[in-house]
Amino acid sequence: MFHTLTWVLWLVAAVVPAFIMRNPLYLALLLGATWLLYTTLGRTTPMGSSWGSFVKLGVFLFALAIPFNALSIHIGQIVLFHLPESWPIIGGPITLEAVIAGAVSGLALLTILVVFAAFNAVVDHYQLLRATPSFLFQAGVVISIAITFVPQMVISAREIRQAQRIRGHRFRGLRDLLPLVIPLLANSLERSIQLAETMEARGFGSAVSLPSRRRALLSQLGLLAALVGVLVGLSLLAFYPQARVWAWLLVAIGVIGMLAFFAFHGRQVKRTRYRRQSWHAPDTVVAVASAISLAIVIVVRLTAPDTFFYSPYPPNSLLPAFDPLVGVALLLLVMPVLVAPRGAAREASNSEPAARDMEHVA
Amino acid sequence: MIRFEHLSYRYPGADATILQDLSFEIAEGEFLLVMGPSGAGKSTLLRCLNGLVPHFYGGTVSGEVLVDGRDPVALGPRGMADLVGFVLQDPEAQFVVDRVEDELAFALENQGLPPILMRKRVEEALDQINIAHLRHRSVSTLSGGERQRVAIAAVMTLQPRVLVLDEPTSQLDPQAAEEVLDTLVKLNQDLGLTIILSEHRLERVVQYVDRILYFSGNGQRPILGEPRQVLSQVELTPPLITLAKALDWSPIPLTIKEGRRFARKAARHRPDGNKAPEATPPSQRRNDQPPVLISVKGLGFSYNGHPALQDLSLDVRRGEFVALMGRNGAGKTTLLKQLVGLLRPDQGRVQIVAPTSGAAMDTRKASVEEIIQYVGYVPQNPNALLFNDTVRQELDFTRHGHGLPPGEYEGLLDTLGLTEYASHYPRDLSVGERQRVALASILVAEPQVLLLDEPTRGLDYQQKASLVAFLQRERARGRTIIMATHDVELVANCADRVILLGDGQVVVDGPTRQVMSESLVFASQINKLFRDPALLTVEDALSLYATDAS
Repeated sequence: MFHTLTWVLWLVAAVVPAFIMRNPLYLALLLGATWLLYTTLGRTTPMGSSWGSFVKLGVFLFALAIPFNALSIHIGQIVLFHLPESWPIIGGPITLEAVIAGAVSGLALLTILVVFAAFNAVVDHYQLLRATPSFLFQAGVVISIAITFVPQMVISAREIRQAQRIRGHRFRGLRDLLPLVIPLLANSLERSIQLAETMEARGFGSAVSLPSRRRALLSQLGLLAALVGVLVGLSLLAFYPQARVWAWLLVAIGVIGMLAFFAFHGRQVKRTRYRRQSWHAPDTVVAVASAISLAIVIVVRLTAPDTFFYSPYPPNSLLPAFDPLVGVALLLLVMPVLVAPRGAAREASNSEPAARDMEHVA
Repeated sequence: MIRFEHLSYRYPGADATILQDLSFEIAEGEFLLVMGPSGAGKSTLLRCLNGLVPHFYGGTVSGEVLVDGRDPVALGPRGMADLVGFVLQDPEAQFVVDRVEDELAFALENQGLPPILMRKRVEEALDQINIAHLRHRSVSTLSGGERQRVAIAAVMTLQPRVLVLDEPTSQLDPQAAEEVLDTLVKLNQDLGLTIILSEHRLERVVQYVDRILYFSGNGQRPILGEPRQVLSQVELTPPLITLAKALDWSPIPLTIKEGRRFARKAARHRPDGNKAPEATPPSQRRNDQPPVLISVKGLGFSYNGHPALQDLSLDVRRGEFVALMGRNGAGKTTLLKQLVGLLRPDQGRVQIVAPTSGAAMDTRKASVEEIIQYVGYVPQNPNALLFNDTVRQELDFTRHGHGLPPGEYEGLLDTLGLTEYASHYPRDLSVGERQRVALASILVAEPQVLLLDEPTRGLDYQQKASLVAFLQRERARGRTIIMATHDVELVANCADRVILLGDGQVVVDGPTRQVMSESLVFASQINKLFRDPALLTVEDALSLYATDAS
């Protein structure tokens, strides 16, 4: 429905506030926006089925965080009840403030998990792998193979376990695992060799043209220099705060050098992508909305760091503060729901409609 | 199209050359079958065609191969990828990406083709192999036959002019193998694609191939020629051709249709004195029968809500040789696992009767350790079993697991033809030898009942023949054997009772001759040839017609 890059941008815009905010109002808003996104767009996709387990884990952590905090922190004025002082750690007054603080931490964890769950439901990992930049394509292929291998490994392990059991072997201690591990490894190695053969036979690796020795050496030296620049810049920032400008300049030059190196390497790979995703107007809308949202959050965080902070313990108020600007920023994250083409959810389950397929061929 | 000139090849570290001074040509559009026992050099020859030998394996090459004017030894597999498509044996180990359509595009992406051309090529390959309905599927959900067809499609996208396949069906059941071979025949006849195939299942392809290249092993020169000409010189062949050679039918029939003509003529001249063997065994009185060893009553079982076995009942008596047949997913393997206690019944019960004491064990209460005292199970894939350094240790491991002292295995190893491999690493052996090591490592515990799951998968005719001989000997010694298999000829040669499963239920249960002569699908070649319930195997037919031929 949307371009993978759009979704990655959305993920960043949603995850950053989830990580840095502790204010329950903002967190609830973010949670609500993500939930809405899932129910309208993510529910019908094939990957949507994993949503339930993410949410269950989140709710479990949420439920765990409350008693954990309430029993271990004994600060606050509104005392609910007392546990005997003689009990280690948990003994003492149990306060409403500690309960609320626990609930807020739990809510933050739940929100992070729900954001990832929603992302997982709308983008499948193959789309994500396809989006790896070309200088990383080998890493992408390795991950893809690993994902393809795992289901086979599981079946193979079960077969082997059964085979050894009917030879009278009992799996009790760690040493007893050898009859399982050795054939599993041997099978995997044999398969890897076969896979390597088929990949070779299908021309894998012919897409990388090797640069001349001198150019390769030069580009590697360049990368080293860039890394040193970043390192020196960061240490300057840490130890000589007065040299701030120079430090930032060094870091910037280093980062640019690294990007240039990656671009150079990416160009060595003469590899094309099958079925490039196309970028449509709604993608632009969502990308811009996500970028604005992220920018607001970052600017607020830099100018007024206390905005996202919330603590129910005295002398603070139990009621969290609310900044409408941040509220707007979080609401922008519902944008995919508003601009998604009609029937997008249905389309997502089939990755692309057949009609558009044919157009491309023509 | 392809020219070999004095090609010799030696693997690194090997003493002898595996390919010795080969010179021949393969024409464009030819369908060449490469056959011969395992280890004779078939795979090596195929790998010479795209440069995997020597680029992937090392070793020394002399002489020359030219494919469409290109030299694979110089260019290597990457340089040959767009000319020679290569498909391997194991349908599990050939996939880089989990989604069918992306897998098809993988090779194209590596060639750096423009996206529009890629789309066209992928669509074409999907249609050529007829797998358009699988395009969005995940590879892990496909059947073996579907996987092999996807693997073929994945190399067809590069539009090669030669397709090379190294035993593509040896890990498949007959139905799936048929799908794959039909696809190849279609590609050869409709597109004129040059196909070079190594294959054990001669009866499926031999009528379509133009020539056969036969590697006999033992360092002899391979024979190349027309199918009939090569088959007349080859020792181990499908039953139809073996019989045709024995009875001097000429020209050798390649299909049942061709064979029927000779069979009808032979039947007309059938000597009256020779009576066919009894079609049905004389009925025995009940109390004469040997005791029941395995009793299954109303067995029901399901995997995560998918019923695999339903209300299944059967008894197996001591000394019986039972073949379980039926299509994939009919519940054969599930039933075997029930009998050895790896799976437990959801409904009904499975009882194992101890032959000595006559005490019955319910598999729901007994542990696997107790059951395997009486029942041995050889799984489909011998690789799941083998992990020790030597064959002998492999046998010791089972003895230890059963709480038995290490024994002398000479007798067992000898009957299985494994004596010379006793101190070899089992995984270095050929598929057939591994299968026998797996068999040995179960038999070493002396189980009363032996369960076999697809024992002939991946075996060539030679290996199959030695397995048949071994099983017949075991049956004569009175061991009870239950075997799940698709191999009709194996059943015709060994089993005395066939149970046909369908949808987790017993469809037919009866003596082999009766079941086979009443079925069209599960009938042996000789049975189809003569349409006579008395004749199942080559031996049956020869005992009847030998005098006629002389």
